[in-house]
Amino acid sequence: MEELDVEPPLTLIPGVDSKRKKLCFAWAPGEMLVYETLFPKECAEKRPGCPNIFIVRKDQDVYSQTLRKLFNESHGIFVGLQRSEEELAGKSRKAQLVRVSKNYRSVIRACMEEMHQLANSTRVPELQCQHSTQVSILSAMELIWNLCEILFVEAAPAGHLLLHLLDWVRLHVCDVDSMVHEVLSSENPSKHKDFWNAVDIFVLQGRMDDARHLLSKEASANPTSMGMCKILDDLMKKMPILSVGNTQTLTEMELKWQHWHEECQRYLQDGTFSSNLHMESICKILLGDENAILEKKELMTTWYHFLVTRLVYSHPTVKPVELRFYAQSSMDLFLGGESSWEPLDSILMAAFEFEIHQVIKECSIALSNWWFVAHLTDLLDHCKLLQSHNLYFGSNMREFLLLEYASGLFSHHSLWQLGVDYFDHCPEYGKVYLELHIERIPLNTEQKALKVLRICEQRQMHEQVRSICKIMAMKAVRNNRLGSALSWSIRAKDAAFATLISDRFLKDYCERGSFSDLDLIDNLGPSMLLSDRLTFLGKYREFHRLYGEKRFSEAAKLLLMLMTAHIAPCSFWMTLLTDALPLLEQKEVIFSAEQTYELMRCLEDLTAGKTDNQKLQVDDVETTKVEILRLALARNLARAIVKEGTLEGS
Amino acid sequence: MHDAQMDYYGTRLATCSSDRSVKIFDVRNGGQILIADLRGHEGPVWQVAWAHPMYGNILASCSYDRKVIVWKEENGTWEKTYEYTGHDSSVNSVCWAPHDYGLILACGSSDGAISLLSYTGDGQWEIKKISNAHTIGCNAVSWAPAVVPGSLIDQPSGQKPNYIKRFASGGCDNLIKIWKEEDAQWKEEQKLEAHSDWVRDVAWAPSIGLPTSTIASCSQDGRVFIWTCDDASGNSWSPKLLHKFNDVVWHVSWSITANILAVSGGDNKVTLWKESVDGVWVCISDVNKGQGAVSAITEGQQNEQ
Repeated sequence: MEELDVEPPLTLIPGVDSKRKKLCFAWAPGEMLVYETLFPKECAEKRPGCPNIFIVRKDQDVYSQTLRKLFNESHGIFVGLQRSEEELAGKSRKAQLVRVSKNYRSVIRACMEEMHQLANSTRVPELQCQHSTQVSILSAMELIWNLCEILFVEAAPAGHLLLHLLDWVRLHVCDVDSMVHEVLSSENPSKHKDFWNAVDIFVLQGRMDDARHLLSKEASANPTSMGMCKILDDLMKKMPILSVGNTQTLTEMELKWQHWHEECQRYLQDGTFSSNLHMESICKILLGDENAILEKKELMTTWYHFLVTRLVYSHPTVKPVELRFYAQSSMDLFLGGESSWEPLDSILMAAFEFEIHQVIKECSIALSNWWFVAHLTDLLDHCKLLQSHNLYFGSNMREFLLLEYASGLFSHHSLWQLGVDYFDHCPEYGKVYLELHIERIPLNTEQKALKVLRICEQRQMHEQVRSICKIMAMKAVRNNRLGSALSWSIRAKDAAFATLISDRFLKDYCERGSFSDLDLIDNLGPSMLLSDRLTFLGKYREFHRLYGEKRFSEAAKLLLMLMTAHIAPCSFWMTLLTDALPLLEQKEVIFSAEQTYELMRCLEDLTAGKTDNQKLQVDDVETTKVEILRLALARNLARAIVKEGTLEGS
Repeated sequence: MHDAQMDYYGTRLATCSSDRSVKIFDVRNGGQILIADLRGHEGPVWQVAWAHPMYGNILASCSYDRKVIVWKEENGTWEKTYEYTGHDSSVNSVCWAPHDYGLILACGSSDGAISLLSYTGDGQWEIKKISNAHTIGCNAVSWAPAVVPGSLIDQPSGQKPNYIKRFASGGCDNLIKIWKEEDAQWKEEQKLEAHSDWVRDVAWAPSIGLPTSTIASCSQDGRVFIWTCDDASGNSWSPKLLHKFNDVVWHVSWSITANILAVSGGDNKVTLWKESVDGVWVCISDVNKGQGAVSAITEGQQNEQ
């Protein structure tokens, strides 16, 4: 058995007394049932009851209101990405992918905002805790995604790399602004206890202009240090930075930087700042002195901030491949001996080491939902980054994660629709997963059933279409909605069921003398041919219509045809013949002699079919009916012969 | 309680227990409303199984009292629609066939026989019995997913495709047997030997379109095997040991898309297993990836809060 990197997590089910009872389980769509039982099963003696069932749910996040927006909007981005033009090559493709990445991130941030609002507005402590946790998880996700964007999607080269990393750090260490605001809004900023902290943090984040602005306050407040302030200000101003639009090459930049570095060195060694510890420390930071930077640990709060600061002031033209070494050493220096590695740390470290599959793996373990890894991996796959790695799953890693994510969506009563699109874009197993999952969607309403049906029809999932139609037809029959049942069974092309329902219709007619759902039956069209009984139903209704429109001879012809062509079941012949009575009794002769002979034959067939016993048992009503019919037929025959004879004569 | 099964959609829950009752709950939206308390068995009820919804709301139950009862919901109430008493001792397992075959129920019993009840219409059921399927007794039955042999082109409507019906059974003779229907008769197609004690449960994995078939089996000997057959004719099955537990393993079951196998027994845990790409089975136990909701349903209490 393969070794796992982590121990499988143990889920404790509260309330289960594991000493006395055993656990058994059953799968449910989206969840799992666990219940206590006692084994072995053989004995039949009465045992103390095991009344509890526990429902263990795998993915709670699907049910969160705010996260739902995340799922919905990211779904839109995902589908857009799949459909985007692959023909765009090189820079424009990269720009497109970066845009997609930024879109994902803004969706995460929006969700975070909303969650934050919720956390602040709620008064229930558990909810507040839950929301706050969710906010920090989302924040971590955005942090990781942002880094992945810089390193993998944008794939920034040396020079630009550091700029992006600086932005990244500035965006994610937020305490700065509140502290600075406090300092600036105080009466005497330079005397505020956090003043130098503010200056320091600006320097640590390479925000020279902001640092200089604060420094000017000190200069104006404290004339004695004005000289030093001016020099420091000057140094900060002169610091060479590679801005995005800049055309200078890296070598040029490095040269400039070297000069500047030396200048700072000179000022430090001259003891220019020796009377002001703060400014001296800042100068040391500018020189990239690790210890000086490390002293500001509290301000930086994280090792990755430390990493970026170090790079800014010692290796601004760092190349992507060199990152891993700096990252490792930064983490070691920052955390010292206390290796309190959080999952977040190992994920970020893996990213700095450009171990993409490691990043994905760690994220999968750390996060409770497949959303993040599924979308990130998909994006990275579009950047053609996954193939070059020798993964267990190769390009199937993407599909594997998407399948897991989408499967999770199916347990939700409306998010399942998003899942469909995800399955569509999984070329290997998407279709079969969709087939297996879509059958489990509860078809509570007709609209939902139609929605599911449309999805199946669009994808040529004929089996599922038939299955769903059958289920709906069965449901309709149970609720006595015959018309609905009929249309469903027609859609399912289920002849047997259609026959069953047609029989019900006919039975109803016999009992009540009228049809329900006339619209449906009138407009059957070619689907009438699905089953003989259905055809009969349609034609029979047509007969009634013709009669209603007083098109008697046509009606008569149809009626006769129904019996002679054996479209009508024998059991119905009596009813048909009875229906013929009004036609026979009309003033005008409708049935020709020939037709009347046919009718008589039908009647005789019908009565002859009964055994002697049955004849004896037949009740008076039946006998009377037959008598009346015989009489009417005879009379009609007489008239018909006369009529036909007369015409011939003249 | 001996068994609990969710229906196809996860909206209803059926449970059965030693108190001879079969109970049905409506569990939509986290609720727990007792819909029906079905009485009819005279002994502990071992298993329940839901039929496919296209046949209506139908539930089968089997019990120590040698009976198999099929219950149906008609006009909002649950009633016994059929009772089968053709076994000589406890019926241990019931399993509905894939809906494509029609409404067919397989029942395994301690008398060693397996019965197949097929609904033929109008309240009539046709019975086929495989006597002496397993010596001493049969403990579990599980159907293979419906796969149309040959071409996958859609059949014209009204024509029933020629399915090859198969199911697996596990018994007290330590064997797992695969049965195939040929000329309207059930024949033993394969005998899978690997366990050294009574086989307690078998589960045939749902198909995800690959030509391989997979069966999981667990036994009193504490072992769980995964059997795979690579060719479509179903001739060569090879076992792989998933794990040896310290105690009897009672139940195995596949998730809907057959990517996770759940196993219960041995040290009071339900463990989840997943196959990694190089064919090795790994325990993930990820029932709850760190967070999750556990809610309890208490059976038999009328006044719920």
